[in-house]
Amino acid sequence: MIGFIQSVLNILLLPGLAFTLIASILLAGIDRVLVARMQRRVGPPVLQPLYDVLKCLGKETIVPRKANEKVFLLAPAVGLISVLVTAMFLPIGNVSAIRTNADMIVILYLLTLASVTLIVGSAASGSPFAGVGLSREMVAMISYELPLVMVMLTVGFVCGNGLATFSLAKIGAYQAANGPLLLNPVLWPAAIALLFVIPCEVGQQPFDIDEAETEICEGVLAEYSGKPLAQFKMMHNVKMYVMSGLFCALFLNIQTGFFLADILIYCVSCVLVTFVSMSVPHAVTARFRVEQVFKFYWTVVTGCAALSLILVWIGL
Amino acid sequence: MENFPILAIMTLFMGAFINSLVGRRSHKARVAVVFTTMAISLLLVVSMVPAVMFRGEIITYWMGGWAPEAGWAYGIGLEVDALSLFFGLIVTIAVMVSGTYSFTYMKRDDSQVNFYTLFLMLAGSVLGLVLSGDLFNIFVMVEIMTFTAVALTAFRNDTEGALEGAFKYLVVGSLGSVSILTGTILIYGCLHTLNLAQIADLAIHTRNPVMVVAFGFLFVGFCTKAFMFPFQPLAADAHAVAPASISMMISGVLTKCGVYGMIRLVYVLFQNIGQTHVQYLVTGMGCLTMFICVTMAFNQHNFKRLLAFHSISQVGYVITAIGLGTAVGLGAGLYHAINHTLFKGLLFLVAGAVQHQTGTLDLDELGGLSKKMPKTTLLFLIGAASISGIPPFNGFASKWMIYQSIFSKAVNTGNIFFLLVCIVALLTSVLTLASFVKVAQSVFFGQCAVLCRDAEECEKGMRIPMWVLAILCVVLGLFPDQFGELFLKPAAGAAMGADVYAAAMLSGKAVTSMPAIYGYIGTWSPIVWIVLLLIVTAGMTIFSVSAPIRKPEALGEGEVEDEHVLPENAKYEPFFSGEESVHSHVTGSDLFWGFKENWKKYFSFWHDWHSGIVNDYELYGVVFLAAALIYCILFI
Repeated sequence: MIGFIQSVLNILLLPGLAFTLIASILLAGIDRVLVARMQRRVGPPVLQPLYDVLKCLGKETIVPRKANEKVFLLAPAVGLISVLVTAMFLPIGNVSAIRTNADMIVILYLLTLASVTLIVGSAASGSPFAGVGLSREMVAMISYELPLVMVMLTVGFVCGNGLATFSLAKIGAYQAANGPLLLNPVLWPAAIALLFVIPCEVGQQPFDIDEAETEICEGVLAEYSGKPLAQFKMMHNVKMYVMSGLFCALFLNIQTGFFLADILIYCVSCVLVTFVSMSVPHAVTARFRVEQVFKFYWTVVTGCAALSLILVWIGL
Repeated sequence: MENFPILAIMTLFMGAFINSLVGRRSHKARVAVVFTTMAISLLLVVSMVPAVMFRGEIITYWMGGWAPEAGWAYGIGLEVDALSLFFGLIVTIAVMVSGTYSFTYMKRDDSQVNFYTLFLMLAGSVLGLVLSGDLFNIFVMVEIMTFTAVALTAFRNDTEGALEGAFKYLVVGSLGSVSILTGTILIYGCLHTLNLAQIADLAIHTRNPVMVVAFGFLFVGFCTKAFMFPFQPLAADAHAVAPASISMMISGVLTKCGVYGMIRLVYVLFQNIGQTHVQYLVTGMGCLTMFICVTMAFNQHNFKRLLAFHSISQVGYVITAIGLGTAVGLGAGLYHAINHTLFKGLLFLVAGAVQHQTGTLDLDELGGLSKKMPKTTLLFLIGAASISGIPPFNGFASKWMIYQSIFSKAVNTGNIFFLLVCIVALLTSVLTLASFVKVAQSVFFGQCAVLCRDAEECEKGMRIPMWVLAILCVVLGLFPDQFGELFLKPAAGAAMGADVYAAAMLSGKAVTSMPAIYGYIGTWSPIVWIVLLLIVTAGMTIFSVSAPIRKPEALGEGEVEDEHVLPENAKYEPFFSGEESVHSHVTGSDLFWGFKENWKKYFSFWHDWHSGIVNDYELYGVVFLAAALIYCILFI
């Protein structure tokens, strides 16, 4: 009974639903402030993402005439849920809301599902801008999926003691015993690759080709308004947290034995990852073109990931 | 019980005969005959399930009572072990669905009596192939299968390309038949028997060059029947013109014969799947096929051509998993094989419905069908989600098993080849998803194309078979554990236990042992996830639907959507000056520019390679045969 209550609490509060929502809002807000400061602007308050979402929630939802109404309205909900469920798998220290023996594959698929809902929702809106946006989102997905898979294989391989593992709990245990994987120089290329994958997966500048306000009027989100838009915005925030948390789980899982200290370290490292992978590129670069994104990911980023994979494979 | 296999096959052939006698009278008579025969055959196959699948028995039947004498099998035998029955189930279920769909779908065609006669002969030959225990019998069935399939491909011979597609299939397909025949002859020359069980018994002790060459010939023959690379252009050309229910048969059933033959060949007849080089050969071909075909599918403009390439790509997955030589891999391959029949059949039937209602399959001309055909759209989305491997549908469960089997193989052997295969498999999955996004956007979503303005929802007679497949897709995705325990485990066990197979045929009853094929899939309990997802989805849906929603105002009397008709390239107008509401639908060819741009050279190479000239295709086949033979002689 106590175990059951504990797992329900884990799912609902920490590190599950409530923590995810708060953390993702704060993380997105901190990101915006950091970017603003780097660009010598004042920037919005830290809670601005929350205000944005709340404001959208209060607005009327407009369904375009050309849209398929059901899919158009349902897609954002499914997308938000899939990223929220993804967040349940992320461990803080050695505690996670849900664990299986193959967390990483489930995470991979749920993240894919989130992107698919974005694509299907925008396809259902019938707008030509959304059509171009979804095409770009799909290209981005093809770009980052290969390095992401390779990074996951590499980490799973290192932590599996000869047998590869897909379980984040085992990866956490390995790091508790041998120190965070980020200290292992063989894995540095993989870590760099994952840092590049994060902004593309989240859709942050300079990889926000699918939204590209100046070219295709927010692309995939062009026709969205009101509550569905709020759900997609929230999905974006949660995705940001999920990807940072994934990096922490794979490379920076530091366990002190005290849960509160673990939470603190986790939060700090999430902010650090966000800063390095999303805020800095956002502040200092302009948007890539579609084919540049693809090329960049399939050469540089995949190259980094492959380097680590090969080094690990030959036993360094 | 021991008559059931022959009865199941005979029923279908008899049905073809009776149909050609009485089917001319009326549509009702045809439907009655065809439906009854299909149902009887399905029932007979299903009634063998408890004994063969659950109790591990092997049913043998000697035609004309020619039982083996002094340890030599002279007669023609049927032998149904769990592997045969597994494929028998796939075949009969697919035949049932496809036939039922045809009743409505083919209504507008003439000379339907010929269609159903050929259809039942095709069904009978395929069932005969998988239940047969005799190598020459397999060749005969392959021949009947190929010729009926060719005739059915060209059935709508007023369609452009129908005869051409059928001709290519005939010419290049005969290369496969010849290969199988040659392999059979060589084996007969060496071992003096054609009985599968006896070959399995003897071949393992007979390692000579002739047997190796025979292996190469049979391998290429079954590759042809499964349309593996470099035979995939045939499938594309045939699928594009065949009636949808026949496309379903070709992709769901005929390719499975190739897969079945491959499993029998490497696991039972030669039992050489343990050799690393055989694994390289089979897995390598599967891997190559799945990647090349998925990239080919990427650029297609024809709905069914696109599906055809995907079909082959998924068969590539199956072959890849089978080639691993592990019980997990074999189980995963079998699981994906049945899933492939289900979701690919569903998608072909959806394509057929679209063609039936709009008259075209061109992805650049269709658009916005989701408002006209909402139920078909839902069915399409289920099929697309299944093939792209999105949980909780069946494609996810089987692909996941495949990844795990490949990865554990890579880890256990420390061989980087299998690691590469694993990465390619994952990449193929993303590309599959991308092409179905393309179909979804260009056919079902977006703005309503001119051709689709008057389209209506397809008839119930077509929707019900599609729903059967869709429901099976969901069920198999939700209960992978139970399905694996009941069906995959015996089937994989049967394939791994060649000695039992031989003993059952030659010396009476034997019981298949069942290996523990997986400790893997149990880690994923979809039901829990479904419950979780459903609860949250329900909450969110209520939340999102309860919001004030402004729906589009209805069009006034006489108003038409997008009345601005359309100079060429008008659809690009909104991107330059987006004021006026012109019809602008992002169609198939407009998508994925960034990806295509970077892969220009690759795509143009394959574009030229698929020249459409039958001489070229035959040449590729012969080169592949030569290469496979050389590989076999050098390494196996």
